[in-house]
Amino acid sequence: MTAIEAALEAAAEAVRATGGELRAGGTDVMTRPARPLVDLPAGADLHGITWRPDGSVRVGALTTITDLLADARLTASYPALAATAAAIATPQIRNVATVGGNLLQRNRCWYLRTPGFACHQNGGDTCPARDGAHLYSAVVDQGPCVAPHPSTLALALLAYAATADVHGRAPLEIADLYGDDPTRDHVLDSAEILRAVHLPPPVSGERTAYRRATARERAEWPLVEATVRLTLDGDTITTAAVAAGGIARTPLLLPEVAEALHGGPATPDAFAAAADRATARCTPLPRTAYKVPLLHATLVDALTAACTP
Amino acid sequence: MEFSVNGKVVDVDVETTDTAAELLRERMGLTGTKVACGTGVCGACTVQVDGRTAAGCLLPAGSLAGREVTTVEGLGGDHPVQRAFAAHDALQCGYCTPGFVVEAAAFTDRWRAEHGTAAPSREEIAEALSGHLCRCGAYAGIYAAVAAACAGEHDDPEAAAPARVEAVSKITGAARYTTDVVLDGMLEGVIVRSPHPHAKVGEIRCDGPLAELLPPDRVVRYAGQPVAAVAAPTRAEALALAARVEVEYAVLPTVLSSDDETVVFPTKEIRETAPRANEGPLAKAEWNGNVRGPAAMSWRARTAAKRIERARKNGDRNLVEATYTTGVQAHTCMEPHSCVARWNGGELRLHLSTQAMTRVAEQAAERWGLGPGQVHIVAEHVGGGFGSKVNVTTDVVAAVELARLHEAPVRVVLSRAEEIVDGGTRPGTRIDLAVLTGEDGGLAAFTMDAHGDSGVSIGSNAAWHSRFFYGNAPRRIRDYDHITNRAPGIPFRGPGLPPMLWALEQAVDETALRRGEDPIALRRRWDGNPKRRALYDRVSELPLWRDRTDPGVGRVRRGVGVAAANYMYFLDPGTKVSLTVEQGTVVARIAASDIGTGSRSVIAGVVRSALDLAPGQVRVELGRSEHAYGPSAASSCSTASIAPAAQDAARRLRKALRGHSLAEAEGLEVVGRRPRDRRGYVTPFALDHFAIGRGFSGAVVVTEVEVDTLLGRVRPTRVWCGIAAGHIYSPRLARSQCEGGVIQGIGYALFEQRQEDPATATVLTANLEDYRIPGIADTPEIDVHFHTEGWDHVPGRGVGIGEISTMAVAASIGNAVRHATGHRFHDLPIRPDRLLEGIAE
Ligand SMILES: Cc1cc2nc3c(=O)[nH]c(=O)nc-3n(C[C@H](O)[C@H](O)[C@H](O)COP(=O)(O)OP(=O)(O)OC[C@H]3O[C@@H](n4cnc5c(N)ncnc54)[C@H](O)[C@@H]3O)c2cc1C
Ligand code: SF4
Ligand code: FES
Ligand code: FES
Repeated sequence: MTAIEAALEAAAEAVRATGGELRAGGTDVMTRPARPLVDLPAGADLHGITWRPDGSVRVGALTTITDLLADARLTASYPALAATAAAIATPQIRNVATVGGNLLQRNRCWYLRTPGFACHQNGGDTCPARDGAHLYSAVVDQGPCVAPHPSTLALALLAYAATADVHGRAPLEIADLYGDDPTRDHVLDSAEILRAVHLPPPVSGERTAYRRATARERAEWPLVEATVRLTLDGDTITTAAVAAGGIARTPLLLPEVAEALHGGPATPDAFAAAADRATARCTPLPRTAYKVPLLHATLVDALTAACTP
Repeated sequence: MEFSVNGKVVDVDVETTDTAAELLRERMGLTGTKVACGTGVCGACTVQVDGRTAAGCLLPAGSLAGREVTTVEGLGGDHPVQRAFAAHDALQCGYCTPGFVVEAAAFTDRWRAEHGTAAPSREEIAEALSGHLCRCGAYAGIYAAVAAACAGEHDDPEAAAPARVEAVSKITGAARYTTDVVLDGMLEGVIVRSPHPHAKVGEIRCDGPLAELLPPDRVVRYAGQPVAAVAAPTRAEALALAARVEVEYAVLPTVLSSDDETVVFPTKEIRETAPRANEGPLAKAEWNGNVRGPAAMSWRARTAAKRIERARKNGDRNLVEATYTTGVQAHTCMEPHSCVARWNGGELRLHLSTQAMTRVAEQAAERWGLGPGQVHIVAEHVGGGFGSKVNVTTDVVAAVELARLHEAPVRVVLSRAEEIVDGGTRPGTRIDLAVLTGEDGGLAAFTMDAHGDSGVSIGSNAAWHSRFFYGNAPRRIRDYDHITNRAPGIPFRGPGLPPMLWALEQAVDETALRRGEDPIALRRRWDGNPKRRALYDRVSELPLWRDRTDPGVGRVRRGVGVAAANYMYFLDPGTKVSLTVEQGTVVARIAASDIGTGSRSVIAGVVRSALDLAPGQVRVELGRSEHAYGPSAASSCSTASIAPAAQDAARRLRKALRGHSLAEAEGLEVVGRRPRDRRGYVTPFALDHFAIGRGFSGAVVVTEVEVDTLLGRVRPTRVWCGIAAGHIYSPRLARSQCEGGVIQGIGYALFEQRQEDPATATVLTANLEDYRIPGIADTPEIDVHFHTEGWDHVPGRGVGIGEISTMAVAASIGNAVRHATGHRFHDLPIRPDRLLEGIAE
């Protein structure tokens, strides 16, 4: 076992022994009720940004969002990652929050975070939000839990077809990090450590944008958010990747939107028609119906912004 | 673990769960770093770690090992941005200020390293400070301060004087608030609260001393109601002890709607204990199950009802009728309710975050059977109040009772969750309003029924205030309280008026639209108040109003709306200010608190100019109940009471000096009194120390909004706020106060709303992430205009501005959104979901 593996094993063992939780920057775990916390090892290979000979890049899980944004080569190579990361939270949070913590944070459902409610996410077997106050809940109902996934960064990683390097596992696609069990925020067990994410070699000349819909101008969790990547040949869209958040139990890649755009013109009508494909997925709750037009609007806005020089 | 703090290396042991903010505040005494939200949202706890900012309330203490930490104390007051904050009055209560300053210092340093002395844009400043919240709404000054510091305008320490006399202590973190007070042997008190919205409490078991906080019938009536309090040496231990307290609850049916069968206050005696959401005397009203009302303030009610009825029957176009609703708004001051209590030889000593030290001292003396002068209150700095800190509140009762039980000082500080649930709210309302215009274009009559969603409190009194607006046309005005098992409302900045004006001022706007008349012109006709007429005249000439354009049908539509407000003038006629000559300076003293409204500076200014003194020659000591009797900082009465008393004191001192210099008059003391107004008051004698003076203050607010019809967002871009309150004692501070009022009004209009679980009425927005107050980026450009004429009967010729500045803001936004979108929104707040649904209709 290498020293790095030993350090990771020791952290994992400490979590298993205490029944606790791993901590990276702590900006999520520290907002939840106290329990034993195990800091991720600083000495291991969890920090930093490493370029591979094939042009791909490895971003360590403990890299802060600010460090990610401060890396000029990374932000130039992956503009959608930069735009998405820059929209996360606030400067003080980005200075501390890490890539791994962002991907693996727990959801922000107010029932989950208000004492006194049992639900699917904390050992219960009901969802008080579904029949209760769910103004900010999902609009794509993957049942039984309807809390939107909180990770903004995941949208960019989905759009770049990144993979996750989890200690002791084969590389995982980002979508597989979230799996299909709606009662969980990700598939890792509490002692599993995300070491890094890998992004495939960058594509030059891509057009990208990130947009979020909120009531206030800044520092507010999105009602709906979207990241888009396009390449154009003249006015024709040659490749597209579109991901949206705030709408479902997991951050969602929207292949149907990409497919609708592919090979077509970059025009308002084409954007609207492509966004229609996404809203076709929606199965709103009584109070989240507004997110259907909002998803449409956010996608159109992001696509338009990406194509506006 | 070793780390460096403000340049000094220290060695401490920390637990994994300790936060950096706890370490700095509790163990190292660096209380400049505040904790206001505890969840990374507000930035009050911001510190620099190796030059980068972090939220200290979430930052693991252990992560500081080997790092260099700079707190506000470490900036030392020498950073240009600190001087800029002081000079541009970028602060009011000051509780958020250390966090802002630490962030702004890091930003300014970075900015100047990259851009020299080019000033950053508003957007750049907003982005940099987006992790900070200021409940007082000092954002306009903050924009100006940061831009000026970046531009190098405050590099010279002498460049500009502080706008507020206590500014330096607030920008350096030296200002001590109640939450910062630590006494020898002090225990931390924690309140045990009911998880049930309605229950009879039986036995309470605890393995230590416990103070009960129940009403006489031992029934709790909302989830989060205090049941008992316990104390221990640390907060963690107290919380653990509280968790072990066993309370027997016999659960009662929850009243979620006032027509439920169960009655929340079943007997006459227990009704008497219902908390109050209003200020001053309460109008009489019948109780009918869970509904209290109508409390009527009508004028020719039958005529009004008859006219409206007839118009309704005839389908009269001149009848504008609709139902308006408003959300429950939380005060959520940045400094939570907090109290440090200790008993000392039969006397009670409190450090208290209060707006009303003399009133609370009286209440406390009565409650604990003490004589006058046996309750001593200190409130040197108070981190906001907005009406929520005027009584003996739960924090006080808990701290005092626990201090007695433990024979030790006890500190009780509410958590943000407790603050939002139980620290105070403006009741929600449903207002049915019918406004009829006569053939002559005048106001013919209106009927207004206001139904207050006031939880277990009474006195939501919204309609009441419409009695005094728009002349003397017949009006039927009825207020109802709908009692349910929800947390009580309490007075909040202009209690009752923002919801009343949300209804009335939109109806007036609608009337103007129907008549094809300019909404300002119509108000000018209907409104007899000459001071407000001067404001109408002025604003209708401004490009903001005159050059309104067709909003068109594009994605972003711009609209402009107007609304007006009218408010009574209150004062405390018993107010006194003492002046003492001490070592060549004049020390002014009064038992009042400065919650960010600027009382210190007003007194200093008055005394200085009356006696021709230099700035350093007057010192103001506020915040001690032993001082000369002072008013509550409530009902906008402070300045109108204090300034004339200070003037009177200065006059007396000048006389007593008989031409001698201050150096020759050591120890000379005079007490000034608030002189009576010419022609006296509306109230023949003061009630609860308040008198209602003659005349009304007025406001006219014009707001421009941009509505993004795609993403459903309303963004106020420009606000003109005209205030008619007579002489303005301290113009820069008064402006800050009004800007803050505008910003709170924006929050009320667009973002703020208590949300709850419909099945249990449990509050779900008990944090500053889900309870959304405006941030710096939501701040429009605000132009405050003071009309200073018309108060010649008042000594000093000026009255209060704190409340009048906020009341009409939401209605002006509603009218602006109507202009922009063609849709009339009746429900507050105008959230994106409502906006999208409304314009889709
Ligand atoms: C005001 C505010 C606004 C916010 N807005 C946004 C937003 O718009 N978008 C958004 O995405 N987020 C937002 N956040 C959340 C913030 O981004 C997350 O809290 C942060 O990214 C978590 O990172 P961390 O390193 O602090 O994680 P931690 O709090 O340390 O950990 C979070 C979770 O991830 C697990 N974990 C962390 N690292 C690893 C790892 N390497 N391997 C295995 N498990 C791991 C931990 O066990 C824990 O369960 C906001 C937060 C605040 C306070
Ligand atoms: S939405 Fe999910 S987290 Fe929220 S109450 Fe339902 S199950 Fe729990
Ligand atoms: S107290 Fe830390 S961010 Fe509010
Ligand atoms: S000055 Fe910012 S909260 Fe009071």
